[in-house]
Amino acid sequence: MQPTVLIIACLLLRVSSSPSAEPLSPIEKYRRLEFPPKEENFEDGWKDRVAAEYDIINSADLTSLRAALKDDDPFVRAIAAYALGVRSDGTSADALAELVKNDKEYVVRIRAIEALALLKMNPEVIESAKKDPDPGVPFVVRLVAGQIKSETDYAAEIRQAYAKGIDRESMGTAMVGKAAPDFTALTIDGKPFQLSSVLGKKPIAIYFTAFDG
Amino acid sequence: MHQQAQLRLKKDAVEMLGAETYVVLALDTYRTRVFKEENWLLGGGKGPFGKEKSLVYATPLSDPAGRASAIYGVSRRALRWGSWAENYPHWFVINRKGIITYALKPTFATPTAYQDDVDNVLKELEKAAQ
Repeated sequence: MQPTVLIIACLLLRVSSSPSAEPLSPIEKYRRLEFPPKEENFEDGWKDRVAAEYDIINSADLTSLRAALKDDDPFVRAIAAYALGVRSDGTSADALAELVKNDKEYVVRIRAIEALALLKMNPEVIESAKKDPDPGVPFVVRLVAGQIKSETDYAAEIRQAYAKGIDRESMGTAMVGKAAPDFTALTIDGKPFQLSSVLGKKPIAIYFTAFDG
Repeated sequence: MHQQAQLRLKKDAVEMLGAETYVVLALDTYRTRVFKEENWLLGGGKGPFGKEKSLVYATPLSDPAGRASAIYGVSRRALRWGSWAENYPHWFVINRKGIITYALKPTFATPTAYQDDVDNVLKELEKAAQ
C-alpha cells in the first residue's frame, strides 16, 4: 500500500471511531464535577467549581436552566435556581416558588429563595419559608428580606461581576513573598474599589470571609 | 465574625500603624452591607460581642462573583447549608511595597482561637509597616 493511501486510511479510521466531539453544556459540566460538596473535598477541585459556576451564570441557555430545576441532582437544581435569579428570568418565578415550597433538599430551597429575592417576585412565598424546619432557610429569608424591597437591581450587579470572567491561570495566585495580585470589588455603596489604588502606600490586612466566617 | 469583632477591639493598634484593613465577602453589596452593619451572628448572646450593633471595623468589600476571592485562592472551599459557601476565611498581610508577607488560614480550633489569629495579624502588620 502506498504511504499516502495508508495515512488517509488511518485518518478515516480515527474519525469513524472517535466519540462525539459535542462539547458538554455548562449544566452537564457542573453535574460531572469531580469533587462533590463533601467536607473531604475542601481543598480539591475548587478551581473547577469556580469555573463551572462562571460558565453557568454567563453562558448556560435559559431553556436548559429552566429544565434543570427538575433535575434529579439537588446541586444541579440549586445552581440552576440561583442562575435563573441572577439572569433575571422572571418566567421561572412560579417554578422557583414551587421549589421553595416543596423541594425536599434545603440547599435547593435556599437557592430558590435567593433567586426569588433577586427577581423581587413572590414575596409571600419567601415569607412563608420563615416556617421552614431547616434553620438555614429562615436565616436566608431574613437575609434577603430587605433585598426584595430595595430598588437596586442586585441581579444586574452580580451579572456584571460574572461578566468579567475569570481564567484559571489567575486563580490562587496570591502567595507569600510575591506581589499582591490586583483585584476589583465594590464598596457597600456600590462604588468600584481597586486594590492597586492602595497597594504600596500603607500596610494592608485583608480578610476574605463567608457571611458567618 | 469573631475575627472581625476582635479586630475592632484592636482598631487603635491598626490606626497607630497607619494600616488599612479590608474584609471581602463573595456576596452582593446588599448582603455585604448587612454583614457590616448588623450583628446577627453574635448579637444577643452572652459572649463578649453580644451587645454591640455592629462588629466590623475593616472596610467591607463586595465581591459578587467571587472573582477576587478566587484570585486569592479562597473561593468555594467551604461548605454551608449543604453547598459550597462563598469563601473559606483567610487573612493576608501586604507590606508597603505591595508584597504579601503573611497568610493565615484560621483553624477555629478553640472557641477563642480568633484572639491569637488577630494578634498574629497585628504582629505581621507591624513588620509590614516598617
